[in-house]
Amino acid sequence: MKKISEWCMYCGECAGVCPRSLIEVHETDLIFNEENCKDCKLCIQVCPVHALIKEE
Amino acid sequence: MKLIETDVLVIGAGPAGSSAAKHAARGGADVLMIDRKSEIGSPKRCAEGVSKEGLKKLGIEPSPRWIAKELSNVRLVAPDGTDVKLNEETVKLPEAGYILERKVFDKHMAMDAAREGAKIMVKTLAKDLKREDDSLVVTAERMGETFQIKAKIVIGADGPESRIGRFAGLKTAAKPKNMESAAQFEMGGVELEDPNSLEFYFGSVAPGGYAWIFPKGEDIANVGLGVLATETDKSAYQHLMEFVENCPATRNAQAVELNVGGDPVGGMNKKLVTDNLLVVGDAAGHVNPLTGGGINTALEAGLYAGEVAAAAVKEGDFSKKRLEEYQKLCEENIGKSFDKYLKAKEYLLSLSDEELDEVAKAFQNVKLDNINTKELIKLLVKVSPKALVKLGKIF
Repeated sequence: MKKISEWCMYCGECAGVCPRSLIEVHETDLIFNEENCKDCKLCIQVCPVHALIKEE
Repeated sequence: MKLIETDVLVIGAGPAGSSAAKHAARGGADVLMIDRKSEIGSPKRCAEGVSKEGLKKLGIEPSPRWIAKELSNVRLVAPDGTDVKLNEETVKLPEAGYILERKVFDKHMAMDAAREGAKIMVKTLAKDLKREDDSLVVTAERMGETFQIKAKIVIGADGPESRIGRFAGLKTAAKPKNMESAAQFEMGGVELEDPNSLEFYFGSVAPGGYAWIFPKGEDIANVGLGVLATETDKSAYQHLMEFVENCPATRNAQAVELNVGGDPVGGMNKKLVTDNLLVVGDAAGHVNPLTGGGINTALEAGLYAGEVAAAAVKEGDFSKKRLEEYQKLCEENIGKSFDKYLKAKEYLLSLSDEELDEVAKAFQNVKLDNINTKELIKLLVKVSPKALVKLGKIF
């Protein structure tokens, strides 16, 4: 599961690199389709403010 | 469920979308443009540099309401502070000319589209897209209401996070090595050496990218940088904090705004069209791979997209084959120039801090208005043979 920190700015860069198009960017929300996520972590890596955190 | 029918649906109201909507409407098509945000143009994800010539070419009349500053000089800064100064008379510079007020500019571009007859819906999110007969049906959500929009042609102008193209089977996801992570402050109290210069800082201040200071008049400037996540473990924001602390121009400056976002710098996407759909702007990789600038190309590609879409509607042919005219126009007028910028970027990113310092020193002592390639190479041989070898490998 991914935790979205409160400092996320919803810029959508995570969605831009998600190879499976699993992230829906709203004006002030991110919706992850975790079910189909293969855990490549690209979304976590590219975030300009490191707002995505992997939770075990 | 409520159903809206239109000839052309544009998704995303940035410069690319608004330009596409404007020209599709001008060409006689029924156009609807939606944007997920409550305010078009805000928050900005942009350093706001745009070429004067590019706007003129597209017939966009400059307005003092959205031009923050006019400038024509460029200052390139190496890691040790050695700088090279260029101006428009000596070198043709992309993205130099105006610094925009994007929050105003984007709204004006959208209003221009509306003046041509396009309808606009804000705070409207495209959730899904499916094919139905010879049209596309987009499920949209606005303020708690879900409805469908049936369009003959969908133009995906939904930014670097683009999903619209992907819904229809186009590959628009960027690889992390082609996606800059960018962070920027708009600051007051910036102490600029030349308030008429765009400043670019290279080297380890921004691994995989560069840092910039774009003056917006008085002591105001956009101060930002882009990095590649593949080249650093720190976030773009952390790099920006360090840059601002260490750069002489920003030591005493205060931030009044923080912007972040992705910038696709891998060049133009290979496929921009499929049946009933085309992508434009950041969603299509219409970004100069060297500078990361994309406003001019977004506006230009939007023009082609709008014109081709309108013509296709008139002819009643929305096939991939018909829409490929747009792909060709983009390749000819935008994609080709990107190839050389990609090579230049590759070279720039291959240099170490020391090599960048050496190259800057070589340039510093020459008059740039009378330099030719031969002299340039002679100079590089003298100051940095290693940098020259890398140049030879790439070109």
